[in-house]
Amino acid sequence: MKLVGSEVLMECLLEQGVDVVFGYPGGTVLNVYDSLVKYKGRINHYLTAHEQGASHAADGYARSTGKVGVVFATSGPGATNLTTGVATAYMDSSPVVFISCNVAENLIGKDSFQEVDSTGVMLPITKCNFQITDVDKLASTVRKAFAIARSGRPGPVFIDILKNVTAEETEYEFVPRAEHKEKGLLEAIYERNMPDMQKPAIDEEDIDKLVSMIEESKKPMLICGGGVVRGRAHEEFNYFANLIDSPTAVTVMGGGGINGRNPLVTGMIGMHGSQASNIACNECDILIAVGCRFSDRVALDPETFASQAKIVHIDIDRSEINKNVRTDHHIVGDAKEVLRMLNERLSQQDHSEWKKFVFSYPTETKYDEGGETLNPKQVCDTIAKLMPMDTIVSTDVGQHQMWAIQHFHFDYPGQLITSGGFGTMGFGLGAAIGAKVGNPDKSVILVAGDGSFRMNCNELTTVQYYGLPIIIFVFNNQTLGMVRQWQNLIYHKNFSQSDMDRGPDFVKLADAYGLKGYRVNNQKDLEIAIEEAKASGEGCVIDCVLDIDEMVRPMVGGGSHITDFMKI
Amino acid sequence: MKGIFSVLVENRDGVLSAVSGLFARRGFNIDTLAVGETDDHEISSMTITSTGDQRTIDQIEKQLNKNVDVIKVRRLTEARSVCLEMILTKVSYSATTRSSLIETCQMCGAKIIKAAPKYMLLEFHADPEAVEDFIQLVRPYGIIEIQRTGTIAMEK
Repeated sequence: MKLVGSEVLMECLLEQGVDVVFGYPGGTVLNVYDSLVKYKGRINHYLTAHEQGASHAADGYARSTGKVGVVFATSGPGATNLTTGVATAYMDSSPVVFISCNVAENLIGKDSFQEVDSTGVMLPITKCNFQITDVDKLASTVRKAFAIARSGRPGPVFIDILKNVTAEETEYEFVPRAEHKEKGLLEAIYERNMPDMQKPAIDEEDIDKLVSMIEESKKPMLICGGGVVRGRAHEEFNYFANLIDSPTAVTVMGGGGINGRNPLVTGMIGMHGSQASNIACNECDILIAVGCRFSDRVALDPETFASQAKIVHIDIDRSEINKNVRTDHHIVGDAKEVLRMLNERLSQQDHSEWKKFVFSYPTETKYDEGGETLNPKQVCDTIAKLMPMDTIVSTDVGQHQMWAIQHFHFDYPGQLITSGGFGTMGFGLGAAIGAKVGNPDKSVILVAGDGSFRMNCNELTTVQYYGLPIIIFVFNNQTLGMVRQWQNLIYHKNFSQSDMDRGPDFVKLADAYGLKGYRVNNQKDLEIAIEEAKASGEGCVIDCVLDIDEMVRPMVGGGSHITDFMKI
Repeated sequence: MKGIFSVLVENRDGVLSAVSGLFARRGFNIDTLAVGETDDHEISSMTITSTGDQRTIDQIEKQLNKNVDVIKVRRLTEARSVCLEMILTKVSYSATTRSSLIETCQMCGAKIIKAAPKYMLLEFHADPEAVEDFIQLVRPYGIIEIQRTGTIAMEK
């Protein structure tokens, strides 16, 4: 069948089972948008307010559904506007294929209008990227891009198609994704045995060694990382934790990797980790981290981290082993498979004494109750009480993010959508849009801070236009809370440029976008607003007023010993 | 310690910058880098040498392996491989130093490609250590210009 490039692209998306694309049109990508009309109903395009919003939406879609997210953008500023979203997806291993078009071949390298070396820009923030200059290679490159994005440790892939390629004709044959490998369409990448393309074979001896290490241990500790979530290994992980009877800390990215209400859960670990998590990590005799990369926010000081323990690292990415923390044993493999093999071989352990010690320390932060103003825990608890248990929670970045992760319970992968690695303020609203589009039957909320929300609140227009019933909670303390907290504790209360003592009025802002806005100062008003929002079935903004000096507790300073809690 | 990597990569746009960018981004050193096509024009071969502690050299290997455009990474040791580097250099001379410079070249096995009135253009190839020694030997005569290929290496 003869098709033009932009139609080949659409067909390739259909091969991959893609029915949702987020994006923004512009000069060079016009052929693609022209073809989009022909594919209406089969490929649904969501027009965002800004390319950054589209990038986060596709990321949120990917994280919440486990499918590959797709973005369209134009050349130049279209592509560079994606970069924050690409880097966010890269740091959190989220599978997204970003597709932009570049100027036509005769204009490349001439500093043409809206020309930028997009593949050069994307180089350090993608798993792989391609520029397509030949229409005959379009289909094979798109197939390869999707295979790479979802394989091994997932991540973003960027494709840049020259404008003339999208208009040129080529011969095309539809081949469903399942047949790509057997029909040899991915031959080159599989034949050359790229380590990341295939799940590494798990070494049985490594498994047996870990089983005996676990059986010898008196004080085991587990860390549930983002790999458990990406690998959808939550059932296996939950079973594993129960079998070892081990206290389990959860990283920011690991939320939903273990049932949040499992009594073995000690809460978050690291800089804002609970006392139970951090102390257990320091006292344990074996520490098994699954799908976690011991970032500086978790391990803090890599030299003293879990110094009494044998550290065991399970990860699909070999380059993570011994990168940040020196390990005593490791297994390279897919979390689901490794855990299944371990679960088959392990007998039920009992560590009542050790658990008694660990859980003598708090797993949650206490707040004074019954105050007149709202406190963060109270807001989280009220949301949790009134929203369905399986509500998807998207967050921005800052204090509210830590509060949300500390106080909500996440039960399944994709329930928590948060920028853990890159820490992208302004991520949440786009991500919530993507999550809602991908999960129309689930409730989706956004927990934002006033600073983060201000950054990309332009996407309220997307919420309103597509009628997405996302409830947006702005934890409004009139300051960049986390910056203020550091200035308070480390910079001698020198609050430089962190006050948000200015507009907009979020209730009026919501109104301007055609959405309902509420301002709440107390528990009762918050409850009323949530009930009204739920009943309306529409998106809305609930501006929750908090005290400016509220802090995230506990806190351990960066690079400090993990139990060196600051006095707050 | 020294790390010598022989790396087969896809021969396409951007791969060289992807590999060199990887070193820059992760704070690894590149001491030398030599690239060329193999007998298969779709595949290029790179020889990269680097210095760092054991953990860094291990990380370099793992990170290289992770790159989708990298087909194969081989780690070579100086003892079990042949390492060669070639240099071209213009060295100045005068009537008094001429014969000793020629002697030095003969002693080291360097080739005099051109003898101009004020300089000689020399070609020399050897293992990287011998290349360093040769440069030290001719430096007193006055090096006008020098070009080095960087190390290429192959397992014995």
